[in-house]
Formats: sequence, structure tokens, C-alpha cells
Amino acid sequence: MTQPLLKVENLSKLFPVAKGFLRTPTDFIHAVDGINFEIQPGESLGLVGESGCGKSTTGRMLVKLMEASSGQILMSDKTQTEDLIDIANIPREDMKRFRRRVQMIFQDPYESMNPRRTVFETVSEPLTVQNIGSLKEREERVSEMLRLVGLSPPDAFLFRYPHELSGGQRQRVAIARALVLDPSFVVADEPTSMLDVSIRISIMDLMLKLADEFDVSYLYITHDLAVARYMCDRIAVMYLGKIVEIGDTEEILGNPQHPYTKALLSAVPVPDPTHVKEEVAILGGITKAINPPAECRFLARCPWAQDVCRTSDHPPLEDKGDGHYVACHLVESALARA
Amino acid sequence: MSRPLLEVDHLVMNYTTEKGDVSAIQDVSFTLYEGEALGLVGESGCGKTSIAMSLLGLAADNARFDEGEIRLDGTNLLALTPDQMRQRRWNDISMVFQGAMNAWNPVYKVGDQIREAMDLHFRPRLSSREVEARIAKLFELVGLNPAMINRYPHEFSGGMRQRAIIAMALSCDPKIIIADEPTTALDVIVQDQILQELKAIQADLGMSIIYISHDIAVIAEVTDKIGVMYAGKLVELGPTKEVFARPKHPYAYLLLSSTPSVTGPRRKLAPLEGEPPDLLNPPTGCRFHPRCPYATERCSTEEPPITDIDSGHQVACWNWQEVPELGGLTK
Repeated sequence: MTQPLLKVENLSKLFPVAKGFLRTPTDFIHAVDGINFEIQPGESLGLVGESGCGKSTTGRMLVKLMEASSGQILMSDKTQTEDLIDIANIPREDMKRFRRRVQMIFQDPYESMNPRRTVFETVSEPLTVQNIGSLKEREERVSEMLRLVGLSPPDAFLFRYPHELSGGQRQRVAIARALVLDPSFVVADEPTSMLDVSIRISIMDLMLKLADEFDVSYLYITHDLAVARYMCDRIAVMYLGKIVEIGDTEEILGNPQHPYTKALLSAVPVPDPTHVKEEVAILGGITKAINPPAECRFLARCPWAQDVCRTSDHPPLEDKGDGHYVACHLVESALARA
Repeated sequence: MSRPLLEVDHLVMNYTTEKGDVSAIQDVSFTLYEGEALGLVGESGCGKTSIAMSLLGLAADNARFDEGEIRLDGTNLLALTPDQMRQRRWNDISMVFQGAMNAWNPVYKVGDQIREAMDLHFRPRLSSREVEARIAKLFELVGLNPAMINRYPHEFSGGMRQRAIIAMALSCDPKIIIADEPTTALDVIVQDQILQELKAIQADLGMSIIYISHDIAVIAEVTDKIGVMYAGKLVELGPTKEVFARPKHPYAYLLLSSTPSVTGPRRKLAPLEGEPPDLLNPPTGCRFHPRCPYATERCSTEEPPITDIDSGHQVACWNWQEVPELGGLTK
């Protein structure tokens, strides 16, 4: 087994529910609640779920835009091959080095860029901050990046402002900015959901191509299972702060085990009018995990719930074979079957 | 075959702007039959919402209808006065807009807001008790608890608010509902529930619906007939199953080839090169030719008319016979 690039252990994030000025909050939204997963070098993991399930919060914690409430995020260090380091304990003076390794691509290309900066300023800023190269070298590097992301000739784009670019072009600039430091891990939070269908595929193809060239791993956050299928080697399905199922993409989509995954998959519109739907009716609507009870998070909506679900705690992720993990009392484990 | 209800006949509409005319709808024709669900699909700026607004008589002030007619039951809606049009709206054609769930007035009860729409538009006049009963029935129809009638919008979830919008759209018993991206802002499970419900309601009431969406997967699920739009033009029109099985306009073909799916083999998708054109200055000839892999010289000079290639399957392309069968690409 190779050393994972990233290892997340028992990661949680609680947000206090404001009760009023100067009052100590007693209620918390459990946005992310004790999740565990690993990402191997060069692998892309899709984090899938509906709005409010905690997928963006997870992504932000991984790039340290947000502190975790508890748990650990361990990352391998390219230069020191021995151990994984806990990103919470990175000393201040090493933070810059951490930022070289970990980058983020945001959803909205209209808001993630400073409107008063040119493309050159935007893409070269990471280099400036990290003190890499002379101005001349930076110029060359930025031009090369623009060419790689399909903005060529680069001279035509270097001194344009974001408002002079289309949505797809902006997202290309955002990708160039994220990859200019040659990171090993990129969190991509719905990078194509604001784009038109015809542009979407070219951006996704670009990200796949660059993942190969730069040997970068993505945590690809999306609500769209079809997009996750195109982009990711593995998929993790989140529901109210918990990962309920994780495994190889085709295995999850072809053989979903958790009731929520089944429901999600059956609800995805299919671009084929002859496709016959297998309706999985789940109950009610999504709620917020404010001080959630100990039982299974999905209990209230699960049409198959049994007594065991009501009397036990939220089930842990269990291996159902071949790295397919499911958190459900009702799905037999590989061990039990054997 | 059922009766044609709405006929859009060679419609041409431009927006007058300071920079010149924006050619938003260019020679679009289609017919909506009674009880039919038609989908209009295309990317942002392709003119699909402009068509919706034109059908409702709600086009922007700078919209100029240069040619064509929109006939509802034989009456040309474009010739009506604003007052006459107002009487048609909601009674004959109503609407469910994108993000309409956020358009509820927060300080009035949801039931009262539906009542207001009925007071303004609904003939016959009903007594307030009858109105009450009708709203309760509509709530049940869209899967809402009638006890919610006297609640305020903030007490509804996003999906519930959108359901209430659908109840309001149904309140005056329209012949046609125009649903412009009715589920775009919703999560996938709620989207599915609402689409299934709209489909069931449509079948129950025998209504006609025009769905407008950028998402061809949604259109595949809920429509009988599909129109594919590109840069203000209707480029392909036909029975949904037929168009999805054998798209013959290069744009429709590429759109279908570039849509990821959770079913079927894992495919390499074909990207569409380039970006949609600026409609201030649309390309000459076929508007798709600069991005089209099948374009020939003729395409840049002569505009292809939309013609029947099979019963009811229409395509506006000179080279439609060159477009291959779908699904050759495997990952």
C-alpha cells in the first residue's frame, strides 16, 4: 500500500447557532461530523451530496480556509517522505510552503477573481507571494500556464480584465492560477456548475488532462453524480455531515447500497427518454443537522428503517468488499456474508 | 392527433439596444398541441426565455417584433392590447419561473397571494369560500398540506415554495403552463419529485406545458416533443425520443454527445469548441457554422431553412446527412 496523499480522520466542523448577542451558543449545526477518508496520489475523489450536506465545508477545511472543530487532516509532504503531517500543526513559517502544495478552484468564476486585476496579475500572484522567479520568469511561467489551459495566444489574454472574459475563459484562468505553483492537491468546488453545457465538458476535459500532466489529485465537490462519474476515480456520498457511502465510481453508481445513494441516483435526470426510472421514494425533505440525535442521520427519511436503526447509533462506515464502504445497519457486511 | 393550441409562426424578435439590434429570436416556428409537453432546450442567451416572455406578452420594453405571429386558438397574441393580453395571462397561459420560489412576498400568507392572483384573473368569479376550497384542492394536487395555506413563505422550504408556485400557476385553470427552468435552483431529489408531480398533473388535467431548460436530461424526462435552440434559432424540432435517438443538427448532436450521464457506458464526451456568438452581430449564413465540424462553404453564406427530414422531425442544416449516429465514443 502506498502512502496516501491525504488522510482525513474523524474530521468535524460545528457551527454555533446564534442565540443573540453575548449569549453562549448551546446549539450547533453539525456541518461535518466525524468523517474519514483517504486520497491516494494522483487519484480524484468526488464528494457528492445535496446543498447543506457539508461537502463545501469539508473542502474548505482541507485547504485550511476554515479550522476544523475536531479531528485530523494528515497530508504527505513531498520533500519529507517519511510521515504524514497534521495540517493543523503546521507552524506559521511553514504555511507558505503548505499553500504551494494545496490549492482551490471555486464555483463562481465571476466572484473568485479580483475585477481590478489583469489575468497576468491574477495568475502570477501565487508566484509573487511565494517569491518564485524574476519578473521575466514569472511572465514566462504565466504564459505557459495560459497556453496549457487553452488561452492562446497568451499575449492576447495577459492584460485583460475578468469582465473581458467569458465564464469559461475565467474558469480557465482560475485553473491556471490554481496550478501555477504545481500543487499536489486541488480542491475543486463545483468548478463547472455555473457554466453552460457546451463549455462544461471542455473545462472538465482540461482538468482531467492537467491532473495527468501535473500529477495532481482533486477533491471534486459536486451535486451532480453524472459529473462526478466523468471526473472521479472514487465517489463519497455525504448526507447531513456524514459520509454514508464511499467506493469506486462505477461500483457506487452500478451497485449503490445506502438508501440515500439509491434515492439520489434514482432522482438524477437521465438524458435518454427511453430510460425507465426505478423510483426510490424517500420521505420528507432535507433538514439541518442542529444537535442531531445519535441515531442514523437518515432515519427520518429512510423508507426501510427497522428497529435496529432506531435503537442504535449512527452506523459506522463498513467495508462491503473491494473498498466499497457503506454506513447502514441494514446492509450486510462482507464479513457477515462470508 | 389532438388540436393545435398554440402556434408560433415565423417569429422574429430583436432587442433594440444602444449598440444596435440584438437578434434574440430569428424565424422560429413551432406548434403546441393540446395535452402536449414541449421542451425548449439551449444554452444561456439562445433565446429560449425570450420566447417564453413573448408568449406571455411580457417581453422587455426594448423588444421589437418584426415578423411573425403567436396564435393562441387562432388569435394573434401580438396584436392584442396590453389590457387584452392581461386577461389572457393566467387564464389561458400561466407560468412557473426560474427561482420563482424566491418571488413570494414575505409579509403575506402564501394562500392570500394565490387568492390575489385569482381575484385579478379568474373568471368565473368565485365566492371566498369557493376560492378557499379551490386553493386547498390545488395544494393537495401539488403535494402540499392544505394546512399550509395560512402560513408565510419563510415557513416553506425551497421545494415547498416552488410547489406553491405551481399551485398558483394552476389556480386559474390555464390551458398552457410555461415552466422556465422550474427546478433549476433545487436539489436533485426535490427536482425529481417536482418534475414527476408536474408530469402527473399535466396528464390528469390534460394541460399543455412548455418546459424551458438548459438541461437536456430534464427535457428528456418530461416532454413529448423537443425544440433545440441555438443563438436565437430553432435548429431542430421533433418527437423527444426521435431527436434523442437520432439528433441530426450538428449542435443537437454535440449537445447530446457532451452530456454526462449516470447510466449507460462510461463515455468520453465530445467537447463543443468555441463559444456562443454575440447576437449583436450574429454570424452570416448558419449561426452555428463557426463552431460546426460539418460546416461547408455554403454554411457561411446561406442560412439553412428548417425542413422536415422525417415525419415531424425538422432540422435546419445543409449537411444533416453527414451527422453520424450517436454514441460512437467510448472511454
